[in-house]
Amino acid sequence: MDGSGISRNRGAFLLVSFAMVASFFLAVSTGKYPIDIKTLIHLIASRFGLGGGDLLLPQAALVLWSVRLPRILMAVMTGAALSMAGVLLQGIFKNPLVSPTIMGVTSGASFGAGLALLLGASAIVVEASAFIGGLVAVFIAYQIGKRGANSVTTLILAGVIVTAVSRSGLSYIKCKADPLGQLPAIVYWTMGSFNGITLDDLLRSGGLILAGLLMSYFLRWGLNPMALGEEEAMSLGVNVNRQRAIYIIIATMMVAAATASCGEIGWVGLIIPHMARMLVGADHKNLVPFSALLGGLFMLCMDTLARALPGGEVPVGILTALVGAPCFGFLLIRRSRKAWSG
Amino acid sequence: MKTLSIENIGFNYTDRPILSEVSFSTESGSVCGLLGPNGSGKTTLLKCINGFLKPRAGQVYIDGKSITNLSRKTIAGLIAMVPQLSTPVFSFTALQMVVMGRVARLGAFAVPSRRHYRDAAAVLEELGIGHLSSCGVNEMSGGERQMVLLARALFQNPKILLLDEPTAHLDFKNQYMVLDTVAAVTRKKNLTTLVTLHDPNLAARYCSQMVMLKQGRVHRSGITTEVFDSHALESMYGIKVSIENGCRGNCYVMPSTEGCGVTWH
Repeated sequence: MDGSGISRNRGAFLLVSFAMVASFFLAVSTGKYPIDIKTLIHLIASRFGLGGGDLLLPQAALVLWSVRLPRILMAVMTGAALSMAGVLLQGIFKNPLVSPTIMGVTSGASFGAGLALLLGASAIVVEASAFIGGLVAVFIAYQIGKRGANSVTTLILAGVIVTAVSRSGLSYIKCKADPLGQLPAIVYWTMGSFNGITLDDLLRSGGLILAGLLMSYFLRWGLNPMALGEEEAMSLGVNVNRQRAIYIIIATMMVAAATASCGEIGWVGLIIPHMARMLVGADHKNLVPFSALLGGLFMLCMDTLARALPGGEVPVGILTALVGAPCFGFLLIRRSRKAWSG
Repeated sequence: MKTLSIENIGFNYTDRPILSEVSFSTESGSVCGLLGPNGSGKTTLLKCINGFLKPRAGQVYIDGKSITNLSRKTIAGLIAMVPQLSTPVFSFTALQMVVMGRVARLGAFAVPSRRHYRDAAAVLEELGIGHLSSCGVNEMSGGERQMVLLARALFQNPKILLLDEPTAHLDFKNQYMVLDTVAAVTRKKNLTTLVTLHDPNLAARYCSQMVMLKQGRVHRSGITTEVFDSHALESMYGIKVSIENGCRGNCYVMPSTEGCGVTWH
């Protein structure tokens, strides 16, 4: 009796959860060093003290626990983080066309991270610098959007402006970077990839992302009144400025953590919230957890594809754009009147 | 005591004053109409009363207490607003929309419980739109959407109900349906209702009290039977009108200029 079509939503949740489990096992077993199901079960069992498999299969154990599992978990976390940031930004700006990339958060964060990389800073500093870059970018975009016509279009154009400035900053960093060591690293990193994710990355960035996801989950229903617009939310008794700041900080933290570790991965934060809204409706009570799940699934599939493609691995950012952008075009053409209009 | 008192409100966005020296008060259990030509400051006045805008001068009192220093949360427990009709960006269902009326009392971390949804559904039933409960607001007609917004405002459980041009964009029948409902709930729940209207006929039909604004000042205000006359309307709107008594105690306001349409005999 909460008007959200419970049975339909439960079906969507179940389906995506099932797909997630299946993709997880597929992702664990595929790659340059294939691990079949039997070996996998053996390795997991030995990890929990059931038989001494690690000693028999040292190479498989190393691949699984140090390389493949951190990478897979990071892909799921990043997908969830970017989609969640998309949901938060779309909700608070009452605008279904914004995303971390469009609002300039991603490019601001990668400028911040790039600057820290150039200066040879530690991973924590890169993370913090990405967060500050992202926060400054979204703040400026929001201020331009608000002072302009305060419409759907102005906000997007403001994001375009901020993105252009951050990009020029990043290009400057690239041209000043050492062409033999730093430059290839920075270039590859901006393409967005989960290659080379270690357990340390997972614990640091993944921890921040998990904190952001949990906060979004607990604050999810509060997005509903925010999504009606500033005045309606105010008249319902919401402290709009405070709420908006909280959601922006959560979204930026997740995007910065993802970007600092994995580089720029676009389009996920735009299309996943749309698809999720088509499947479970506009109510953030369901939309928030469902988007995280769907985003994690999408990213896991893209990353597995990126690893398994013939001709060697490609940065996953290339694939998400290749799949995401046409998907969004399709959504624009037959934009679902059911979930949003504008 | 008067529930809602406006004392000496003045407001300007830039140098040009939008409202100056606006004072009036209204009683509970009655609908008060706010009339005035375009740009006379009706919407600005509603925003000042609801605390969206801080007046340059003057105070808004509810039961004798000034609202100036109250939090948004406290104001939302006293005043509910039905905004001008617009197409929402995200299509929430009617029930999801109405339950948002409780956000001020639920707090930032809360998710409404089954009981809240049940109470929200009861408000929809009460307004006779229970069947719309799981319809998306984007798929509704303007009249239905306006009723959902009214239900949400009532779910805030306010003392004061503000409506900003609730009949704009509505067809002939829906204008009456919405205002009939507003008048009925105002009596039943003993609300103090303030509604901006463009049509003096609707104002005369539903409002026991009126405030007429002209260029940001109170032109006339008081009991409808005392202030509603052709002279007041003519000087406010700047058009010659004639008021005629019709059947069933209603009066009709018509411009007394020549029409150019079909004539009836």
